[in-house]
Order: sequence, then structure tokens, then C-alpha cells
Amino acid sequence: MKADTSQFAELDKTKFEQRGTEFKLGIPVTNAVTVGNSIAVGFGDGTVRIFTSGKSSEPIKAHKGVVLCMSKDGDNILTGGDDGRFLNISLDGKISEIGNFGTRWVDHVTANNGSLVCSSRNIVYLWSPNHKEPKLFEHNSTIGGIAFDTKGRRLAVSRYGGVTLWKKDYSNKWNSSELNWKGSHNKVIFSPDGKYLVTSMQENQLHFWRLKDKIDSAMSGYGAKIKSFAFVDDSKYLATSGAKEAVCWPFDGDGPVGREPICLPYVGNKLVTFVEPFPNENAILTGLSDGSVFLSEIEKASNTIIIRSFTEFEVSAIAVTKDCSHLLIGDMGGNILWTSIWDEEKK
Amino acid sequence: MEETNKQVPVTVLTGFLGAGKTTLLNRILTEQHGKKYAVIVNEFGEQGIDNDLVVDADEEVFEMNNGCICCTVRGDLIRILSGLMKRADKLDAIIVETTGLADPAPVAQTFFVDQDVADRTKLDAIVTVADAVHLSTQLTDHHEAEEQIAFADVVLLNKIDLVDESGLEVVKERIKKINPFAKIINTTKCGVSLNEILNLDAFSLKRVLDVEPDFLTSDHDHEHDDDVTSLSFVSDTPLDMEKFQDWFSKLLQTKGQDILRTKGILDFTGESDRYVFQGVHMLMDASPMGKWPEGKERSSRLVFIGRNLESMNLKEGFENCKSA
Repeated sequence: MKADTSQFAELDKTKFEQRGTEFKLGIPVTNAVTVGNSIAVGFGDGTVRIFTSGKSSEPIKAHKGVVLCMSKDGDNILTGGDDGRFLNISLDGKISEIGNFGTRWVDHVTANNGSLVCSSRNIVYLWSPNHKEPKLFEHNSTIGGIAFDTKGRRLAVSRYGGVTLWKKDYSNKWNSSELNWKGSHNKVIFSPDGKYLVTSMQENQLHFWRLKDKIDSAMSGYGAKIKSFAFVDDSKYLATSGAKEAVCWPFDGDGPVGREPICLPYVGNKLVTFVEPFPNENAILTGLSDGSVFLSEIEKASNTIIIRSFTEFEVSAIAVTKDCSHLLIGDMGGNILWTSIWDEEKK
Repeated sequence: MEETNKQVPVTVLTGFLGAGKTTLLNRILTEQHGKKYAVIVNEFGEQGIDNDLVVDADEEVFEMNNGCICCTVRGDLIRILSGLMKRADKLDAIIVETTGLADPAPVAQTFFVDQDVADRTKLDAIVTVADAVHLSTQLTDHHEAEEQIAFADVVLLNKIDLVDESGLEVVKERIKKINPFAKIINTTKCGVSLNEILNLDAFSLKRVLDVEPDFLTSDHDHEHDDDVTSLSFVSDTPLDMEKFQDWFSKLLQTKGQDILRTKGILDFTGESDRYVFQGVHMLMDASPMGKWPEGKERSSRLVFIGRNLESMNLKEGFENCKSA
């Protein structure tokens, strides 16, 4: 039973919802990626839409099934799908196929300095610039996530039992070393300063390694699987989903061991499903399982504002344009909010 | 949550190589007109699958890092089911075909352990296709064949045209000894009405209430220690909840690896509701399921399927749970 609240809807809208444009597409939003001052969004029907201020966003038919993953290479969008294709899409919607794996899904994509990378099953494929054939990196299990460090010399590949760290030496040869921790590791990221590697696990916890001395530790206590996490303000905090607040672990100084995380914004009983750092600020956007999104300063939680009110669908994507003028929120019910961040007069 | 509204049913097809899994699968796909299915197959499939949405899986069994020794899940299923749930078009059902040598436990446990999988999909039933000619030999030679029978909600006894009547009875007896609850359907070329294998909701607690096994007395012939067998217990005396929980949790903790499946309906002293549970190894789904029906005798029923059951003093343990 649901009360008819439509007559109150206008009153309940945040200033961002009033100012911005809402799209009720009904197709699950799977990913969003910032490409300059545009934001590309992937959907559960295989389409991609590109949102740019002052332009309309038409669906680009990219994949047959689901856009499983997205990244970018300069001004181009990279996507992987459950149709087994690894695609390059330009901002004006031109599609070119980089790889095709048939009934094998392309689970992860990333890029660095023109090197295009995807994973399918237990293999990472790397296309160097101007190379037609990819280089293959094989692993002992299906790959949970891939990530380059900022300089592009190290490629982390998470898998069952830990992370394989591929390092490019100065003769451009890749050598691997293993970081082992029992269990299945999913998404992996480097801290922007290159000092840490963090994975989320099948269990409701994260694991991190300090790379200079391979010291590792778990970050646990979550009520749900951690699907979204990101470093904030260079590498000062690691913001994480999976609890009723965004749990922000301190990674400055000697790292998080023995230190308490900051948890925010406590706004009720809903699970945090997505966290996105606000560029160049010590602040995060937090998306909840009911669709609402908040912006908070990490060290001043009282400075929290609501960006989007609830939609009943879990937030599955948040992205901010490079110039910090616009942001986009997407959820599993296919609702999108695309809005300018500042008032017109403040621009 | 609203968007989860309906969990997509997942049917698991197991069975040894050559038993007829792919024949059954293609039968389901061609006979269910207008339904949208996703089929998850392994790369060593016997023959082609005729469906729009076929996903290749690797049967990756992951140990959970939670201190529970027998808690394994199918990592590839978690990944694939999560991906399928992001689709814009809603699926009517998902069918998972396992390889001939697969242990069904990690598949079943995936639906207990992974919250996203449990929220959006549900294990509908494990259907085991067995070859009437070769099953007896396979049961003797392979642990996996026993497990596939032990976990089955339905055993499709296929190729019955190739055995005589007495041979068929022997195979059936063998199946019943391992798993007295599985519904055995005799077929040639997997000819079965699809409503006997799809949408059974066999893992729901409600269905445990329907379980009316012919309670075997425990005068089993001597079994090999390693054979999978079943034991059942009934009590008209109400049970003491604390004693039962104490005994049962210790039992699963220490013997969970050997106990493959359990089901039960329990009558606790001082409780007006029936308690129902069903489990796979150490993992358990349990809940009160409403009042006892009026005019019917209250009684507790408990069933185990597993290995080395005779060594677990189950009868004694159960007797000790009776209220004084």
C-alpha cells in the first residue's frame, strides 16, 4: 500500500531537483563516468547517454544487453557489456569495437595514456597505443576488478585469493607480484598518491595493502557488501558504502590502522549504496538505497545538504563534471537527475 | 524495497555427463513460448543451447572467509546473477546447468550467503537428471553423483526404456535411500511436463510443511561409512527450544560438512506456532510458520540427508531435546 504523494511532490523537491532536469527512463543505471565537462551514463538495456550542458542526450545503442562497466580514455568513453564487446565511444556517439569475446562478458574496463584494458573471465587484455593485438595477462580465477595507478606503471588485478600487481619496468616489460589474502576480492583501486591498494571483498569488508612494506589489514564492521568506495581529497580519506553512513577511513599519515573512521551523514536507517568524492574538496556525495543523495564535508558533517530526495530506488551512479558545474545522479529504477551545482548568480 | 518486488526463480539442472541435461534444457526453452529465460551453462556443454541469452560460466567455487569450513559459494554465479539483475527487460526465470561432476552445495549456498543474490533471485529447485542405465555405477564410483541425488528436489530418471522393470526398481530404491523426498519422475528423452520441474518453490519454508516422507525406521542395512543416506525422526512430545537449539547448532558446527541437507517442522513447548527450517550444510533458513492446524496432532519431524549419520547419535540427541 502506498499513499498518493504526487500532489506533495513539488513541495518536497530539493533546489537541485527544481533547478535541474529529471529523466524517468525506467531502465536501470549501471555506470556513470566523467569525460571532461560531460557525463556518460550506461544503462541496463545496453544504451549509453551523454549529458552535456546545453545539449540533449540521445540514447546510443552500444551493447545488446547490459553496460556492465565504463571508463574513459581521454575524451572517449570505454564500455564493456554482457554481449562480450569492449567498445570505444566518442562524445559525438561514434562507436568502434576494440574487442569481442562472444558469450564471455567484459566485466571491467580501464585505460591509461592510450593503453586500453579490459578483463573477461580470468584474462586481462591490454591494447597498447598503435597495437592491433592485445597483450594477455592470465590469472588463476575470474577477475574482480582492475585499476591503474596514477602514473600507469602499475596495474592491479583483483581475483580470488588476493591481488596480482603487474609492474612495467623501463624496458616496458610487465612483471607480476602477488598480494595474497584469503577470500574473493572485487573492485580494486590505488590511492591517488600511489601508496595504498584497496579491494572490496565478497565478505562485507575491505582489504588494503601499504605497498612500500606490503603491510595489509582488513576494514570490517559493515552490514552489507561494499559496492562503492573512493579516495577523497587526494588520498586523505577513503569513503565507503555498505553501512548506514558513508564510512570514511583516514589514509593520511600512517594510514587507518588503529584509527577511527568518520561516519556521515547519519540521515536515517537507509543503506549507503554509492559514494563519490566531490572534486578538489574534502567532501563526498553519498547516495542511499532509497535514492536520496547528500553532499557533506567530511570533517564538518554539520555542513550536509540534500541534493536529491528519495525515489525508492537505490543510487547506482553519481558523477560531477570536471569543471564542477554539473552533477548527475542515477538509480536502479532508471531515474536521472542532471543539475547545475551552483545558483546562476554565483556562476 | 520496491524495486526488488519479485525474485526471479532460478532452477539448477544437475546430472552426470550424458544423462540428458541439455536435452531437458532445450525442451524447456522450446516449449515455454513467450517467456524470457537466461541460461547459465558451463563451457563443457554436451551440445548447443537454443536461446537468446546464454551465459558461459566457469563454475568457480569460492570459500567464504568467515570461519565456516564448509561454506563455499559459486563466485561466477554471484557475478552473473548480479549482472543479469541489471537488465532492463525482466527475466521470467534463470536456469543454471552444472557440469557432470559439480557438487550442488556451493550453488545452493550462494543463495543463502550473498545478500544481493538472495534479494533479487531465489533458488526454485534442484533438478537432477539421472541415467537409469548408469546411475547405480555412478553412485558407487563418484561422490558427486550421490550429492546430486542428495540435493535434488526432483530426480528425472531418464532413459527408462533402456532398463527392464526390475532394474528400474533397483535404481529407484537406491535413489530413495539417499533422498526420500525427491520426487522421482520416469522419463525417456526427458519427456516431462514443465510444471513438474519449474516454479516449484522447493526451497521455501512453506514447502517444508508439505514434506510427508514415509518415515523410515532406522533399521538400515549396514552402509559403507561414506554412503549418503537419510534419517528421519518424529516426536509427539513437544521439544524444549533451548535444548534443541543447543544440540542442533553444535551438531551443525561440528558435523556440518557431512550433513548435506536438513528439513524439519518443530513443536516447541509453550509456543503456539509451528517452527520450520531447512538447511544446506551449516546454513539454515528458519522461521515460525503460523499456528498448528486445528484438529491435527502437533508433532515434530526432523530429516537429515548426509554421510556418516549413524555416527552422530542423532536419535539420542533428538530424544534429549524432548521437554521433561
